[in-house]
Formats: sequence, C-alpha cells, structure tokens
Amino acid sequence: MKTLAIYSNKGGVGKTATTVNLAYLAAQSGLSTLICDLDPQSSATYYFRIKPKLKAGHKGFIKGGKPIRSSIKGTDYDHLDLLPADFTHRNLDITFDRLKHSNKRLDRIIAPLKDDYDLIIFDCPPTINILAENIFNVADNLLVPLIPTVLSQRTHQQLIAFLKQKRYKLKRVNSFFSMVDRRKKMHLELMQTMSKELKGMLQTSIPYLSDVEKMGIAREPVPAFAPNSISAKAYQALWDELKPKIMS
Amino acid sequence: MKGSSFLLNTALKFSLPIDYDEVQLITDLAKQYTLKSEPSTTASMSLYDTFDWRLFNQNLTLYMSHNQLFLQKLANVTPLHQIEVLSPPVFVEDVTDNLLQERLRPLIKMRALLPLVNIRVIRTRYRILNRDEKTVARIVYETYTTTNDPDNTIPFLRQIWTEPIRGYNKAENRLTAHFETIGFKQTSPKQFYMSALEQVDKTPGDYSAKLNLHLRSDMTADEAIRIILQAQLVIIRHNEPYLAADIDTEFLHDFRVAIRRTRSALSQIKQVFPSEVTARFKKDFSYAGKLSNQLRDLDVYLLNEALYKNKLPPLLQKDIEPLFEHLRQKRKYALDTVVKGVQSARYQQILADWEDFLATDSTAIAVASGAANAQRLAHEMAQEQIYRQYRRIIRQGTRILATMQDEALHDLRLECKKLRYSIEFFTSLFPSKAISLLVKQLKLLQDNLGDFNDLCVQEIYLKDIAQELPITTAESRQVLLAIGSLIGTLYQEQRAVKSDFSEKFAAFSSPDNKQLFKQLFAQNKTKAVS
Repeated sequence: MKTLAIYSNKGGVGKTATTVNLAYLAAQSGLSTLICDLDPQSSATYYFRIKPKLKAGHKGFIKGGKPIRSSIKGTDYDHLDLLPADFTHRNLDITFDRLKHSNKRLDRIIAPLKDDYDLIIFDCPPTINILAENIFNVADNLLVPLIPTVLSQRTHQQLIAFLKQKRYKLKRVNSFFSMVDRRKKMHLELMQTMSKELKGMLQTSIPYLSDVEKMGIAREPVPAFAPNSISAKAYQALWDELKPKIMS
Repeated sequence: MKGSSFLLNTALKFSLPIDYDEVQLITDLAKQYTLKSEPSTTASMSLYDTFDWRLFNQNLTLYMSHNQLFLQKLANVTPLHQIEVLSPPVFVEDVTDNLLQERLRPLIKMRALLPLVNIRVIRTRYRILNRDEKTVARIVYETYTTTNDPDNTIPFLRQIWTEPIRGYNKAENRLTAHFETIGFKQTSPKQFYMSALEQVDKTPGDYSAKLNLHLRSDMTADEAIRIILQAQLVIIRHNEPYLAADIDTEFLHDFRVAIRRTRSALSQIKQVFPSEVTARFKKDFSYAGKLSNQLRDLDVYLLNEALYKNKLPPLLQKDIEPLFEHLRQKRKYALDTVVKGVQSARYQQILADWEDFLATDSTAIAVASGAANAQRLAHEMAQEQIYRQYRRIIRQGTRILATMQDEALHDLRLECKKLRYSIEFFTSLFPSKAISLLVKQLKLLQDNLGDFNDLCVQEIYLKDIAQELPITTAESRQVLLAIGSLIGTLYQEQRAVKSDFSEKFAAFSSPDNKQLFKQLFAQNKTKAVS
C-alpha cells in the first residue's frame, strides 16, 4: 500500500478538488483506493454525498483498527472508498499532542488498513502543527497544490524550511500549479520563476475553470460528470504524471 | 484490473422465474427505491473440460473470460485459481501458472481441454440511491446466452444479485430480503453450469472409458456378454471420429483398449456365440487393432520424451533430439495409416456387421449351433472362467520362478491381462470390496510384468530405429551414442524389474489371495463346459 497526502499549509488552493479527482482516477485505473478525509470541514465527504460522521466518533478514530474499518463507506464508484471526516477532527491536534508518540499517531491509526488498499489519499486541513507532523510521518509522498501568487510562494518556502528542520526527505514532496489563470501575466511570470527555484515541480498544471467549481453542485468528480472537459483532461494528465512517482 | 472478465457466481445470485422479465423487475423495485441505470456491458466466457469429463468428475470447472482463466469448484462461489492468460490452454503444459498447472496435472494428465460451451453475458447495473442521491447498493441484472448456435438468442438464464457497498449493509440486506419475498430462487454455480451445457446438448460425465457395467445375477451368459461387448462398441464409435483430428493421444488409446477388450471377450468367453461368428470377429478385430499398433507405439515414445531424456547423462541429453524428431515424422505417416484404415471399406464393414450382430438376438441360433454356454447363468460362467485363468497364472508363475525365462514372463503378462479383463467385465456380479482387493494385487503384478515387457520392447525398438536414422553429419552421429547409452540404462532397469518379479508374484500367489479367489470363484460349482 502507498500513501499520498494532499497537503498545503495555505487554505483555498484546491486540495479537496485534487483529492477527489485524483482518487477517482486512481480507482478507475484499478487501484483499490481510500480517501481519508482529515479536514473537519468535510468537503471531500460532502462531494461523495456521504454523511460526515465517524461511527465510533473521535475516540474511535484515535483508537484506530476496528472502529475505523466500520466507519469506511463505499463511494458511488468501483474501487473507491472513503473514511468520512468528523467535525471533531478540529480537535485532532490537541488530542495527538496529549498522547505518547504524538507525531506518529496517524500512522498507527491507519496501519490496520494497509492490506485493504493499494493507495490511501489524505485530504488534509491547512495546518503546520502536530497534525501536519503526523501527516508527514504517515505519507509516503506529499502533493502540494500551489497557486502562482507571491503569498503562495512564501508559504511554500515556510513549508520547505519546516520540513528541513524536521529532517523529512524533500524528495517526497511534489507540487503542481493549481487554479492557474493563463490570462494573468503575473501567474505566468511567477510560474516561470517558481519552476526554476523549486524542486519537485510537476509539469502538469490545473487551470482555473468553472468545471471544478461545478463539482459542488454535481457532487461528483469532474472526470465522472464532465469526462471530456479541459479540467478532466488536466487532472488525468496530473495523475498520469504523478502515478509512476508515487506507486513505484 | 479484471477487465471485462466474467466470474461464475461469486455472490448470492437469484434466478428470475420465466414469467418475470426485466421491465417488471425494475418497475417493482422503482416503487420502493430510487433507481439509476448504468450502461450495459457485455462479456463472454467459455467453459472447458476433457473429453472424458475429468474436471467435472472432480466437481470442478475451468473457464475463461476476457484474459482470465479460472478454476472453480462447482459447489463453491470463490475460484480456487485465477490467472491471466493470452489464450485458452489445450494441454496442461500450456498453463503458465505453476500452482494451477500442478493442480491440473494429476487430473487431466495427457488429455486436451476442449471448449464445452461459449456464453455471452449481458450485464446491466442499477444504482439504488438514498435521499442524498448517494448510491447505497447496486443491483446487477445479467442474462446468459450460449453463442455456439448463432440462431439461439434466447437467454437460458437470467439472474439478479446485489452488489454491496461498504458501509451500507442495511440497503443490501433489504434488497436480498425483497428478492426472497417475491420468490426468486438462489442459483448455484453448478446449476448455472448444468443449464449452460444443456443448451448445447451436452451431458456432463456421459463418456468414460472405464467399464461401469451393471450385470444382474439372473442374466444368461449370452445377455451379459452382449452388454459387455455393446459397451465396448460404444467406446469405439465414440472415439473413432476424433482420431483424424489428433486432439490428444487418449482418443486412440481408449479406442484401442475397447478393441482389445472386445478381442479378449471373444476369445475368453467360449461357447456363447456360434463358433463361426466368434472366429470371424476375432480375426476382424485383430485386424482393426493392428491398424493403429504403430501409432500407439510412437505416441508412447513421444509422451515419454522428457522421461527418456532424464535417463541420459546430461552430456548426451541434447544429442537424442534427432531421434524424437524422426519419431515425430514417422508419426505423421502412422496417423495417416490409422485415419485411412478407419475410413476403409473393410473396417467400416467389420463394424457395421458387428453392430448388426450385437443388435440381433441370435441366442436360438447359438444354442442350435451347439454353443453350450449361451443359456447358462453369466455368474457361473464368469466364476469358471476367472478361476481357470487364475490357476493358469499360478501354474505358469511358479514355473517361471525356477527358470526365469524372458519368454515365459511375456506369456504370463498376457495371461494376467486376460484375467484382469475378465474380472472387470463381471465385477458387478461379485462383492465389490473383495474384487477391488484382488484387482489391486493383480495390478501390482501386472505393473511389474508390463514394465519388464516395455523395457524389452523398447531396447529392441531403439536398436532397430537406429538403423533408420539418417546419419549425414558429425552431429547426427552423436544420436547413435545417445541411443546406445539409453539402451544401456533401459537394460539396467529391465534387470532390476526382473529381479522384483519373485516378490510381486509371491504377494499375488499368497495363501490369503488364493483363499479369496477360491471363495469368490470356486464355490457353487456346477458342471463346467469348457
């Protein structure tokens, strides 16, 4: 089993859209896939029309194992399951902090599911605290969506500094440009400089298009409700580029 | 990724009654559930078995769908093996997966896998939605049609089943309960298998080369012999059409065994048919048997190719290859001889006359012509015959122990074979436990004598064939060296087998066995006519 965290320490960069669409494409390619929604806002869970509630609640989640298994729901698509978010996930930081091995709790929670799935994708909330450390420990790879803006560039530098300080292997960090508006001169210029500065930048970028926003209405992954759209093709290209990096 | 392969019943599947169609089913469900149909998909599958149903007899089925090959127990819903293949296997050697190959090898041995039936599966999935329009279960509707006959477009089976979605067990349970309430019946993989074969008029297990006769103790010799011979005729006729196709070597083998049993019955069972009839068909079947002697010999050599190579020192193993190449060439001509022979007017006449004879009640003629055993009880006559053969074997075998002559061992082999056939013909007239004990003992002795004979024959055959081989290059000269070495090994084995004889014979002629033969075949003796 491989694990991938869709992570950013900045909000509103398209993490959930990335999670939902990539997970769908992974499942379509035959990989038995689980989305683990860690965001208390539970947007990924909402997209799949699943109730944002864990059967065993907060305590059950912390315990891992059986309560986790019984909370998993099948989505409408073959090979794709989801572990719903729960509103109590907002307290995960505090809870982890109080426990022993506080930065490796998520690893333990997920361990029993290793044989059930080929790929587990985490949809993460924008934090850079103890939960983030847990995410870095559990994920074989990170995928960081970047909007080509100055602020985004700045937060990414913060992230890299943090990862260096914690001695995480930077090789596992992949990023791509998200919500790209090719009409904006600034976007294009920043993309050029950032591509030079940053390691692990993927070639594919995801354009800023209304298809992605329509996901909220359709409550389906873009490749499922608009398979021929530009966005669907962009996500497919992103998955095709990413798959060999994370699955080998 | 499974592709669009189709798996035999892997879940609880329900079959739809004949008067209940898809429209009615969906209308019914729509009253209670929100349904959304998905586009239909089509898959095909083919079932395989050997001509003599070796897999079915073990309650197994081998089937292929898309690029997946499955082995499954007919009683279970999960396949034992699933492997990816490019094309369906014909022989066990074609199975690319080691585990599956080793599982199949002892079952199908040298037999070819034949396609039994081709099936087209049309599958439509319906999603069951909850209030949030989330899919909480899927129902799968499947129709199965055989594609062997293109005119047949009516499905032989229609099934419905629920595909569970993780975390939504309630919906699945409700649907299953719903199907049970309407009165849908569950279908097992075996029911599926049987109804598919019924479509192509195939009856699993309907052919076996084994003698499985049911004689009654009140039958006359004439009645019983006709049943025995009729069964042989059926086997001959069953295999005949497949000889030319050369699918595997067992068609010829079964064909030959049935001819040999016919000959054995004709010469062993005395005074049941008019003597001129017996004399004629003895000669005729001897001719019919000889037609394929050469082909069978070659088959045996070629089937054992790997075995022979293993008997050689590694240095010479490659050098023997020209010999097998030569045998393969020879086999083409031998096959041709058999095919022409079976099509010949003489052979066809023999079989037609024989069919006529067995179909006509000629008991009266036989009695009138002085066939004194025709009206006797089969049971009595069998006892006499078997006991006579047994005593002859004991006499001859005892003499061999003193002389150990090769010729005498060959004769004894033939006597044992006759006894074996006689016991097999009349098995159903005697207690089965005792008979199987006797056959087991006899078989051990037969194996020893058979091995000895084979080794002697092979040594001579190899020596003779060496003369035929075209020796043109230095390389091909090496083959003579290899053949020489092989003859040497065979001779060593022959001596070892020969020295085992006395032990095997002692076991067969043990007092216990003697007592058993006496008990079964020498009791209630009435006046014998021989």
